[in-house]
Amino acid sequence: MDYDSLKDQWSQIEERDGIRLSWNTFPSSRMEASRLVVPIGALYTPLKEKTDTPLLTYEPVSCKAPCRAVLNPFCQVDMRARLWICPFCLQRNSLPPHYKDISQDTIPPELHPNSTTIEYRLGRPAPSPPIFLFVVDTCQEDDSLKALKDSIIMALSLLPSYALVGLITYGTMAQVHEIGYTECAKSFVFRGSKDYTSKQVQEMLGLTAAGLRPGVQPQPGRAPPPTGPAARFLLPVQNAEFQLTNALEQLQKDPWPVANDKRALRCTGVALSVAVGLLESSFQNAGGRIMLFTGGPATEGPGMVVGPELREPIRSHHDIDRDNIKYYKKALKFYEHLAKRTAHNGHVIDIFAGCLDQVGLLEMKGLANNTGGHMILTDSFTSSMYKQSFMRIFDKDENDNLLMGFNASLEVLTTKELKVTGLIGHAVSMNKKSASVGETECGIGNTCSWKMCGIDPAASYGIYFEMASQPGPNQMQQGPQKGHIQFLTYYQHSEGQYHLRVTTVARNLSGPSGDPAIAQSFDQEASAVLMSRIAVFKAEVDDGPDVLRWVDRMLIRLCSRFAEYRKDDPSSFRLERNFTLYPQFMFHLRRSQFLQVFNNSPDETAFYRHVLNHEDVSNSLIMIQPTLDAYKIDQEEAEAVLLDSTSIQPDTILLLDTFFHILIFHGETIAAWRKEGYQEQDDYANFRELLERPKEDAKSLIQDRFPLPRFIVCDAGGSQARFLLSKLNPSTTHTTGSYGGVSQSAQTIFTDDVSLQTFMDHLMKLAVSGTG
Amino acid sequence: VGAPQMPVSPPMPGNQDNLSQQFGQMNIQAQPQAPVQMAAPHMNQLFPSDLISQPFQVSELDLPPPPINLPPNTSVTPSQFANCPPKYVRSTLNSVPTTHNLLKKAKLPFALVINPYTSLHDNEDPVPVCTDQVISRCRRCRSYINPFVTFLDHGHRWRCNMCNLANDVPQAFDWDAATQQSTDRWQRSELNYSVVEFVAPQEYMVRPPQALTYIFLMDVSFNAVTSGLLATSARCILESLDLIPNVDRRTRLAFVAVDSSLHYFSIPQDGSEAADPKMLVVSDLDEPFLPTPEDLVVNLFDCRQNIESFLDKLQSMFKDTQNTACAMGSALRAGLRLVQTTGGKMTVLSATLPNIGYGKLENREDKKLLGTSKEGSLLQPANSFYKSFAVECSKQQVSIDMFLFSSQYQDVATLSNLPRYTGGQTWFYPGWNAARSEDAIKFAKEFSSYLSAEIGLEAVLRVRATTGLRMNAFYGNFFNRSSDLCAFPAFPRDQTFVVEVAIDETIAKPIVCMQTAVLHTTCNGERRIRVLTLALPTTESLSSVYASADQQAITAYFSHKAVERTLGSGLEAARDALQSKVIEILQTYRKELAGGNMGGGGLQLPANLRGLPVLFLGLMKNVGLRKSAQIPSDLRSAALCLLSTLPLPLLMQYIYPRLYSLHDMPDNAGIPDPETSEIVLPPPNNLSSERLAPYGLYLLDDGQTQFLWLGRDAIPALTLDVFGSEDKSLVRQGKTMLPELENEFNERVRAIVEKSKDQRAKGVGSIVIPPLYVVREDGEPSLKLWAQTLLVEDRADQGVSVQQFMGLLREKVVQ
Ligand SMILES: [Zn+2]
Ligand SMILES: [Zn+2]
Repeated sequence: MDYDSLKDQWSQIEERDGIRLSWNTFPSSRMEASRLVVPIGALYTPLKEKTDTPLLTYEPVSCKAPCRAVLNPFCQVDMRARLWICPFCLQRNSLPPHYKDISQDTIPPELHPNSTTIEYRLGRPAPSPPIFLFVVDTCQEDDSLKALKDSIIMALSLLPSYALVGLITYGTMAQVHEIGYTECAKSFVFRGSKDYTSKQVQEMLGLTAAGLRPGVQPQPGRAPPPTGPAARFLLPVQNAEFQLTNALEQLQKDPWPVANDKRALRCTGVALSVAVGLLESSFQNAGGRIMLFTGGPATEGPGMVVGPELREPIRSHHDIDRDNIKYYKKALKFYEHLAKRTAHNGHVIDIFAGCLDQVGLLEMKGLANNTGGHMILTDSFTSSMYKQSFMRIFDKDENDNLLMGFNASLEVLTTKELKVTGLIGHAVSMNKKSASVGETECGIGNTCSWKMCGIDPAASYGIYFEMASQPGPNQMQQGPQKGHIQFLTYYQHSEGQYHLRVTTVARNLSGPSGDPAIAQSFDQEASAVLMSRIAVFKAEVDDGPDVLRWVDRMLIRLCSRFAEYRKDDPSSFRLERNFTLYPQFMFHLRRSQFLQVFNNSPDETAFYRHVLNHEDVSNSLIMIQPTLDAYKIDQEEAEAVLLDSTSIQPDTILLLDTFFHILIFHGETIAAWRKEGYQEQDDYANFRELLERPKEDAKSLIQDRFPLPRFIVCDAGGSQARFLLSKLNPSTTHTTGSYGGVSQSAQTIFTDDVSLQTFMDHLMKLAVSGTG
Repeated sequence: VGAPQMPVSPPMPGNQDNLSQQFGQMNIQAQPQAPVQMAAPHMNQLFPSDLISQPFQVSELDLPPPPINLPPNTSVTPSQFANCPPKYVRSTLNSVPTTHNLLKKAKLPFALVINPYTSLHDNEDPVPVCTDQVISRCRRCRSYINPFVTFLDHGHRWRCNMCNLANDVPQAFDWDAATQQSTDRWQRSELNYSVVEFVAPQEYMVRPPQALTYIFLMDVSFNAVTSGLLATSARCILESLDLIPNVDRRTRLAFVAVDSSLHYFSIPQDGSEAADPKMLVVSDLDEPFLPTPEDLVVNLFDCRQNIESFLDKLQSMFKDTQNTACAMGSALRAGLRLVQTTGGKMTVLSATLPNIGYGKLENREDKKLLGTSKEGSLLQPANSFYKSFAVECSKQQVSIDMFLFSSQYQDVATLSNLPRYTGGQTWFYPGWNAARSEDAIKFAKEFSSYLSAEIGLEAVLRVRATTGLRMNAFYGNFFNRSSDLCAFPAFPRDQTFVVEVAIDETIAKPIVCMQTAVLHTTCNGERRIRVLTLALPTTESLSSVYASADQQAITAYFSHKAVERTLGSGLEAARDALQSKVIEILQTYRKELAGGNMGGGGLQLPANLRGLPVLFLGLMKNVGLRKSAQIPSDLRSAALCLLSTLPLPLLMQYIYPRLYSLHDMPDNAGIPDPETSEIVLPPPNNLSSERLAPYGLYLLDDGQTQFLWLGRDAIPALTLDVFGSEDKSLVRQGKTMLPELENEFNERVRAIVEKSKDQRAKGVGSIVIPPLYVVREDGEPSLKLWAQTLLVEDRADQGVSVQQFMGLLREKVVQ
C-alpha cells in the first residue's frame, strides 16, 4: 500500500478506535525493536465519541482470571462447542449460556469485525451522583467576582438536577458553606495559615459520623443522594439551587484589609485541602470534581507560592533555574501530596485561573495532571475565553448526559510478544502488575493499569510498549503473526452507571530481520506526538538542554536508521515520504513553548504542557507545528503556507493557529488599506471579503477548541505581531544576510535560533556520519 | 421556758439613710456653720453578757454595729454625713488600737468590709456627684480631699488627714466655671459627704471611655438546648434589650454559640441590604481565631432590629443538635479576641462541662473523696488555664460572669476562677430546666436584672489610710495588680470586698481615716471616682476595742479567710481555724477583760459580740464548709463563691438563715406597714427544730433558697388556706410557687415569701431571687433533710448542736 492509502487507513482506525500507533507493524524481536529509535506507542483516546456502534447493555464476557480479557473480534470462536480462545492468554473459555444461539450468521455485536471498539453499560451503579464542589477565591475585584459568580450560577442550570453541588470560598480564610442549612447563611471557617489534616477537616466539619452507607440499595440506574453528615454540604442541584445561588449572590470580596504594599492573603492551599478532605470522608471513589477558581497566587499558609509583600515578585523560570526560590519546593510538595490524595480518592481537581499574573499553576499542576482535571488559564473571569471554556465543560451528549466520565481506570492487555512500558497523560498508576508489564519504563510505568479520576471524550493518552525479550512462538494463529493489545476503560458515566469501553488492536508482526514493512508502517504524525510527550515528560524532571540533546540524538538516530544515504555524503540524504515531515516536527518541537520555557512564565509552561498531554494527534501537531494560512485578494481559497518568515508578505493576510492562539496578521499593505477604511467602500467589496474570510475560518477553528484559544488580530509592525514572529522559522534572520533565494520583502526575524534549513543541514551531516 | 430576755443594747445611731433628708439639709444650710464644740467623745462601753445563761437570740443580728464615736470637730463641716455609713464600709473594729501590740493582744482582726455600691442601679441609691472636675488630692499620698482634712492659711491650704502634708487648695475649688461665679466651699459635697463621686478629667483616663460591650458565650450543646437554656436566655436577652445600659447608644453586643465548634454571628446593621445574620463556624479549637474582621460585635442601637430577629431565631438554629461537646475554654479565648481592644464583659451561659478544646475539663467528681481529707482537692482548680486566662482577661479589661446550669458535674471549682480574678460572679443553677416554670422564671428574672445592672468599667480600687496603717491583704473577686491596687475590668454592684489592715506604727492621732477609691468608667461612658472615707477613733484600751468590735464584719472577714483556707489547706483546716479563732477570742476576753473570773455559765462576751459563736457555728455548718460526705463539690464550690462575695446582710442570712413562724404570726405581719408601706415580716426565730411546732407553717430562707415548712400535724384549714387543699398529701412538694388563693392568710404568706426575697430592702444590690421549696415534714425525706441543714443550731449530719458547741467552747476556754 502506498503512503496515502496507509494514511487513510490509519485515519479510519483513529475514527473507529481513537487510536494512532507510531509503528503499525510490530517488530518481531526485541533486537529489531531497539533499532526503531521511536518506541512502539499508541496515542489513545478511550472515550472518543462514537455514535455508530450501539451501547451494549449486558455484562461483557471475560476470560478467566487473571487474564480477564474481554471477548473481541480477534478471538477464535468455536460456534458449535460454544468455546472461545483468548488471544492474550490462549486459554479456552466457554461462552455463557445465553450465547447459546450464536452462529455464523448471528454473532453478538462484540464479535463483529468492526467492533474493535465497543462499549458496555455495566450493572454496577455509581456510588453517588456526580459531585461538583466549587472552590471560589474571593480576593478579587467586584466585577471579576461578579462574573465568576454568574458563571457558576449559570453552570448550576447546566448540571443534571441530581448532581451534587457544594461551595467553598476562600481568601484570608477558607469557608465551607453549609448549603443544607436553612435557618441562615452558615459556613465553617478554616484558618488560612494552617495545614489541616484530613482527619481534622472531617472532625471540624462534623463528618466523622458514618457517610455513604454501604449496602443501601440504590434506585435503579441512579445512586441515591447522600444521607450522611456530608449531605449538609453537598446537595442535589434540585434541592440546593436556591440556597447555593443565594450564597453565591451574597459573596463579597474578602473582608480582611489589604495594605497598599501587600497582596491579598489567599489561602488556596487550605481551601483545596479542605475541599479534598470534605469529599474524602464521605465520597471516596464516588465521581466528583473540585473546581478551583483562583484569581491570584496563594500567599498564605501551606501551598503559598509567593509572600504577601508586593515588592517580592513571583518566581520566574530563571529563579527556578538558579534555585533562587523561597516557596517553590514546599508548595510543590504540598500540592503533589494533595494531588496524590485526590487521585487516590477518585476525585478531579480543575483549575480555572483568572489573573493577569501567575497564580502558581506550576506548583499546582499535579492537581489537574494527576486527576484528569482541566486547566484554564485566563486573564480574568470577565473574559469570554474563560466563560466559554468553562461552559464547554458542561457540554452534553445527545442523551443529555454530561460529556465527562469519572473515576476511570485504563487497563492494557498485550499478547506475550508485547509489553507495556508506561503511559504519559493525565493519570496515575494503579500499580497493577501483570504479564503485560514490561521491563523498562516510559512515563508512568511498572503497571498495566492507570487511574483517571476525570476523563472526557477528548482525553488522549500516550501508551508505550516494548517487545518481550523472549516472546516464544505464537502457536494459535494462521497466516501472518499478529500482536494484540486490548484497552479496557472502566468509568463512571455521568448518567450514573459504570461503563466499560473495550478497544482491541491487532497488528502484524514483522517478518525476519530487515522487513521493510516496519518502515512503511511508520506514522510520523503519531510518532512526533508520542515523542513530544516523552520529551515533555523528561523536561519535567531533566534540565532543558539535556532534553533538547535527547530530541536531537533520537532524530539523528532515526534518520541514520531509516534514511537512504551514502556514508559521509550529506547530499545523498533522502527520506521516504512517511518520514519527511518528522524532522520538521522535531525542529518546531525544539523551538516550542513546551521545551523552550524562558519566553513564558512557569504557569504558562505548566498550562501548555498540561494541554499537550490531553490532546489527540492532530491537535497536538498544531501545538507543535502551528498552521499558517495565507489569504490573498485574488485567491478564492486560503493557502497553507510555510511556517516561515518568508510567508509574511505585504499584500497577504495570514491566519496562524498555534492551538492556544489564533492570530490574524495583516501584511503591511493590507494593514494600510484597512486603516484607510477601504473595506467600508462598496467599490472594494472584495477587500471587505478578504478581511472577513480569515475571521470566518478562525471562528470555525475555535468551534470545538478547548480551552478557547486567545484571539489576536494584528498588523505588520504592531506589537502583537511578535506572537506570529516567534512561531516562524527564522529563514531570514539578521544574521542570514541578503544572499540566498529569499525574497527581500520577507520579514526579518531578530533571533539567534537556527533556521529550519540550517537545522536540516546539520541533521543530514550528522545522520550520514553515523555518529548518532 | 420563759420568754428570752433581750440583752442590753448599745444606743442606736440616728437614721442615716434618708437621702431626701440629706439634700433637704443641704438647702437649709446655705451658710456654713462654724464647727460647734461638741461634747467629749463617747467611748463605747463594754457590756458583758453570759452566753450560756442568756443564749443568743437571732434578733440581735438586726442591731446596728457599735457606733463610731468621733471626737468633736473631727470633720470640717458639721454634716451628719461626714462619716461613712456602715452599709458602704464596715470596720471589724470601730475603735482602732493605737499599736500593733494592742491589736495582737486583742486577737481580733482589723479589716474593712467594703461594699462600694448598695444597689444595681444608681437611681436606687444615689450618691452626691462632684461634676466640676476639680479634684483636690494630696500631693504625697494621693488621698482625695474629704470631710476629715483640715484647712490652713485662711483656707488656702489643706492638711491631709492621711499623711499630714499641707496641700494647696486648687483655685477652682471656690469657683464655678459654668456660672463664672465664686461658690461656697462649705457646700462642696466632698467636704460634707464621706461617700461622693467625682467626675474625672482627662488625666484619669489611659484611653477614652470604652463602650459597654457584652459578649454572650452561649452553650448550644445538647444539654443546653434540651434543658431550654438556649431558648430561655435568647428570649431573656431579647426582652431585656431595653434594660441593658445604653444611654450613650454605644453599647455593643456579640454572640458566640458554643458546642464542639464556635459559632460566630455576623449581624448586619438595620436597614442594610441583608437583614439575616450569617453564621460562621470555627471548629479549630487549638487556635481559636476570628473568622471575619467585621460585624461580629455590633452596636445595639444600630442593629437593634436585626439583633432581635437573630435572637428570635437563635434557638431554632440549634434545635436538632446531637452535639454533646462544649468548647467553652476555646470560646472564652475567642471571646477575649472579640473584645480585647475595648474590654467588656463576657457572659457565659453553659449547661455542660467544657469537655473539649482549650482548658478542657474532666469529670473528676469522686464520691469516695467526699467528706475525706482529699475532698479539698476537688475544690481547687483542675488546671491552670482558667486562672491564667482570667489574669490575662483582667489585663485586657475583660470581666467574666458564669451562669452554670449543668445537671451533671460542671466543675464549678475550676470555672469560678474566671469570675474570681476578673470582678465577675458565678451563678449556679444545679439541675435547672426550663420545663419547670419556676426555674425558667427565676433565671429569666435574675438574668434580666443582671443585664440591667449599671456596671463600672476599667475599674481599680485602692484603699488609702492614715500613716501607720497599711492595707495588708485583699479578699474578693478581683485581681491584685500591684500590692494595693485591685483591678476590676467591670465593677460589680452586688459584691463585697474585705481588706485587712495592719498597724505598722504607733498611732498618735485620736482618729484614723481609711479612704476607699473606685476609679471606673460608668456604663454611660463617663470616667468617675467613687470615694468612701471612713474615720474611726483610736484607743489604747483593749476594753474599748472589744466594746466597739463589729461581730458581723468580723464574721465576714473570717468567711473570706475560711474560703481562702479551704482552697489552700482543705475544709478540715478551715473549720478548725474557725473554731480555734472563736475559742481564742473567748479566752482573750476572759483573761484580759473579765479578769479570768466568770460567773454563771462561764462563757462570756460583750453584748456586741454575743453572736460570734453562733455565727461561726453557722459558718462552719454552711454548705460550703460543713463536714459531710453528701455534698457534691459543685455545690460546695458555688457556696464558697457566695461566702467570698455576698454583701454583708446577705452573707449573714446565708450563714444564719431566717426562720419565720407563719401559722401564728402577729397580726401586722404579712401586710404593709402603715408608715412605710413595706410588708412587715414576722419576728425571726432561732434556727432550731425546737422552734418548729408539728402543726406549724414556717418560712426558712437563707437568701439563696426558701423553704416553706409544713408541720406533720398541720390542720386541714391551714393547708386549705395556704395551698388550696385540705389534704396535706396533695400539697405539691419541692420547687414550686404558692397558689394565689382568695383568702387573707394565703395573701399574707405570699407577701412574706415575696418580701423575704426582697434584696433591695436589705440595702444591697443583688440579682438573686431565691426559689421556693415546699417541704412537708412527713413528706419527701431528702427535701426535709435539706431544709434541716439550715437549722444551724440543731445537731445534724456530722455537725454539733449549738448547745454542744457552747459546751465544747466552754470546755476549751475554761481549761
Ligand atoms: Zn485470556
Ligand atoms: Zn496625704
